[in-house]
Amino acid sequence: MGASITEWENAAAYFTFADNPLALVLFSIGVATIIIGVIASIKHHEDKAFDKYKDK
Amino acid sequence: MALETPTLESLQAALDAQQAVFAMHQSMNMEVFYWWCTAIMLMIHAGFLAYEMGASRSKNALAAGIKNILALATIIPAFYLFGWWIYNAFPGGLLPASVPEALPWSDSMGPNVSDMATGIFWGAFALFGATTGSILSGAVIERIRVSAFLILTITVGSVAWILAGAWGWHPDGWLLTKLGYHDVGASGVVHAVAGFFTLGVLINLGARKGKFINGVAQTIAPHSLPMTLIGLMMIIFGFFGFLGGCIIFNGGDIGWTTIYNTPTNLSAFAFNTLMGFSGGVIGCYIATRDPFWTMSGGLVGIISVAAGLDLYDPALAFMIATCMGVLAVKFAKILENKGIDDAVGAVAVHGFTGFVAVILVGVFADGTPNVDGNPAISLQGQSIAAIVMALVGFIPGYGISLLLKKMSMLRVPDAVEDLGIDEVEILAKPYPETSVPATRPSEVPNKLANV
Repeated sequence: MGASITEWENAAAYFTFADNPLALVLFSIGVATIIIGVIASIKHHEDKAFDKYKDK
Repeated sequence: MALETPTLESLQAALDAQQAVFAMHQSMNMEVFYWWCTAIMLMIHAGFLAYEMGASRSKNALAAGIKNILALATIIPAFYLFGWWIYNAFPGGLLPASVPEALPWSDSMGPNVSDMATGIFWGAFALFGATTGSILSGAVIERIRVSAFLILTITVGSVAWILAGAWGWHPDGWLLTKLGYHDVGASGVVHAVAGFFTLGVLINLGARKGKFINGVAQTIAPHSLPMTLIGLMMIIFGFFGFLGGCIIFNGGDIGWTTIYNTPTNLSAFAFNTLMGFSGGVIGCYIATRDPFWTMSGGLVGIISVAAGLDLYDPALAFMIATCMGVLAVKFAKILENKGIDDAVGAVAVHGFTGFVAVILVGVFADGTPNVDGNPAISLQGQSIAAIVMALVGFIPGYGISLLLKKMSMLRVPDAVEDLGIDEVEILAKPYPETSVPATRPSEVPNKLANV
């Protein structure tokens, strides 16, 4: 589904979806979302874990 | 059967074929070289992992480790998204140039038969960035929140240092084209930036509980000093990948050059890396007699000569490193007296040493020519650049950590610090079959007290 070439002759960028800029932009947004998501998830976990130890 | 007489055309065709083979093998050798440099650089992170876990008390050992692992895992994709683009877009200052080929959705940022350079350089640079994150990581152990740390580490590892890299390493970087900046081994762009970023964070983060009693610095002893020493030696090993990644493997008949296109070779790097290491160890040993600082001296020594690794006489490099070993300890002591709790001496070892190392190139190599019409190395240029490096690190480190502090996102609660972060957040024990008293103050005297 994501193949970007049909033959190796004169192939350059041959990675999946290389011929589909929109898909590549969406994948990049996906990477950013995962990075932000993991930090948000760690913060959420910390907030829960620290809740009963909060500084008075 | 009679042999055919070669014609000029057939000889030319054979020669062209041979040259194509040679060119392909040169490109492959270049890839192989940087591939292994990148692999060896991972040893820096294995070293930082051991070193930080060892430097923590056992109640925080796993928290120190997990944040180091996550630093590596977040800086790499962040560097893919925008770090490489920053390097290529900002050599002129703060206004970006148009470099669509460095954006994450370009043809060059993935498997490409016709591009044997981008991926391997991106990989090496991503690992340089991860090193800056690890420099921060050690200093802030035992009280920073992992979520805050990751925001800060992505900032230093994928933005701050690479902006300095664009200015001081890129062929069109303004520090090179205007000032003749020379920093082949990244004393400034990696170590000074990361060290001063760390200082900015430490000011807002504050000291570990118990570090200062009535204003007097106490020793918070590492739970495993041997682990820290082994970790530091692993970092030294990784430095050979790091410094190898700083040299340029050229095609054609050019041979090795520095990142500034001036001639050099791995022999030059070998002389001064090893002499710097030795001098730094001796300097820190003389200054402290302390095992942790003695081993840290190896880092001080290499960083102190890294900026001029291609230029120094090895005996001079040794003496610079020895002196810097002593001075780095003094600087660490000054910071401690100012109430800064740098758990592993990162600001002194990386920030201060990297800053002075950049200036020393201006002292000892003043007048050395550059190429491509760039000005010669000068003390004035190196001094200005050192200040730029410190500011590129300090300003975002201080600013973002202040913001996190205002939002109560920077530091774990006091009670968690008392209990240990492993117990509350990580939900795992590093040594479940032992009972280590975690709150008893150390009886070891302050190692910097007599400096």
